[in-house]
Amino acid sequence: MSDISFESIRMMRTALDSKQISARELTQMYLNNIKDNDNKILSFITVTEDAALKQADEAQKIIDAGESKPLTGIPMAIKDNICTEGVLTTCASKMLENFIPPYNATVMEKLNFQGIVMLGKTSMDEFAMGGSTQTSAFAKTKNPYNTECVPGGSSGGSAAAVSAGFCAAALGSDTGGSIRQPASFCGVTGMKPTYSRVSRYGLVAFASSLDQIGPIANSAEDCALVLNQICGFDPHDGTSSREQVPDFTSKIGQPLTGIKIALPKEFYAQGIDDEIKTSVLAAAKSYKEMGAELVECSMPSLKYAIPSYYLISSAEAASNLSRYDGIKYGHRHEGAESYEELIKLSRSEGFGDEVKRRILLGNYALSSGYYDAYYGKAMALRQVIRDEYAQVFERCDVVLAPTTPSVAYRPDEQVSDPVKMYQADFCTVTVNIAGLPAISTPCGYNKGGMPIGMSIIGKRFDEQTVIALADAYEKSFVRTPVSL
Amino acid sequence: MDLEMVKYLAELGKLEFSDDALEKMAGDMTDIINLMDTIKEFDVEYDALKDNHNVGFNELRKDESKPSMATEKVLSNAVNSADSFVVPKVVE
Repeated sequence: MSDISFESIRMMRTALDSKQISARELTQMYLNNIKDNDNKILSFITVTEDAALKQADEAQKIIDAGESKPLTGIPMAIKDNICTEGVLTTCASKMLENFIPPYNATVMEKLNFQGIVMLGKTSMDEFAMGGSTQTSAFAKTKNPYNTECVPGGSSGGSAAAVSAGFCAAALGSDTGGSIRQPASFCGVTGMKPTYSRVSRYGLVAFASSLDQIGPIANSAEDCALVLNQICGFDPHDGTSSREQVPDFTSKIGQPLTGIKIALPKEFYAQGIDDEIKTSVLAAAKSYKEMGAELVECSMPSLKYAIPSYYLISSAEAASNLSRYDGIKYGHRHEGAESYEELIKLSRSEGFGDEVKRRILLGNYALSSGYYDAYYGKAMALRQVIRDEYAQVFERCDVVLAPTTPSVAYRPDEQVSDPVKMYQADFCTVTVNIAGLPAISTPCGYNKGGMPIGMSIIGKRFDEQTVIALADAYEKSFVRTPVSL
Repeated sequence: MDLEMVKYLAELGKLEFSDDALEKMAGDMTDIINLMDTIKEFDVEYDALKDNHNVGFNELRKDESKPSMATEKVLSNAVNSADSFVVPKVVE
């Protein structure tokens, strides 16, 4: 971390509007920090220095005219699977190594309307498939708390960049935990909104019924301030919601008296590190002291969450990724003599091993003779998981769970074992399966100093309660600063 | 999972593997399918009528013509010629 001393977006807003600092000075501070330190953690694939300084100057004109919006001049980083017009968007894949989108994702249109400063595009697992950012073809990001460990994934670059002080906030995407898990590993706050809250138009598709864009920032309040600006109906996304967009900060500071917090026993069972269980349950006790009521319960179908998630998401991925044919855009094999050869060789050269495994698994689950036993069963489980959450929410306001079964690990400990990697998503995937909002915020550190995250899961479209609870805990939690 | 099945799935996905890569993929896929097989223990039937509660779809847009993206932009990431995508010869 450099000399950037703004703790929150709100403080930055005040400093910019009161002319304590100019948008260019603020941007330059972040760019200098990236230049000096990102070689230690490799969180960015592309840094857009010149464009960022131009955007800062444009933001300054708006500020000088007294017309600043909540995010005008705020320096942000964007995950490299969100289309940015004229700026390389690789999805961390050789397949899109040279892809320059001819249009902006809807979230980028919204952020540009705000007058943000985009500092660059962050690394991720290839096509968002993974939990370590080690499947990135271009930047295998490291954890700012211990550069020998992974930052999590797939939005590992965004989480690491926020954690290291390279941006005020970042956008990530979450299909099975890809915002919350890296936020947990990197000791920052990450929010996965309700499915359909944020338009997916311009997000490179992985699993369309699960994908959702969301913020990663230094606090729940900062996440809410970003979320306030990126939600809303979009005619370009057929699943986008018309639900009214509230001020997501509005419940912050309200007393927790009467709030009921569910603790499903499956989230605290064997397989979750003891230090993590202890830390999350200590946070639950803090909530009780603040007036909330703790309710123990059971969600038996969680046992089958991993196969259900991987079968559905891989089936959708196999279909979504069929668009990469080497013709319209993306990697193209040179010298193919037939149409068939062009497609096969382009795809075989462009995709990495994990993406290929997901395509094979998806095709297996959808194949004649296997469909009912795998994809059909996974969709049935999806209904059961959704119903179990609905039953819990009849009695409770939120669910509290660990975000991950273990803290950030060294790459050689599990990255090469796909089954181990898949099982590590146990705590996060059901939120996507049920389309719910959830936030991960730090609640402790293990003996080795690595961050522990807890997840607060809410009812559909009740991001406000989830954010308010995370904020209430953050107010008294002291974070260990990163030193690179 | 045997090699023939991996070859079949690769064909469906328009992917090619070297012999060594195919062997490795067959091993990985066997482990993955073993994990997926745990779902078979759960006794429940899929009810299509209950589906999509969490994926809501908008009403359809009016069927009216609007300007589309400029051809130059659409082709900007492709090998192109004379306002067209270029593909290998498909007819003799």
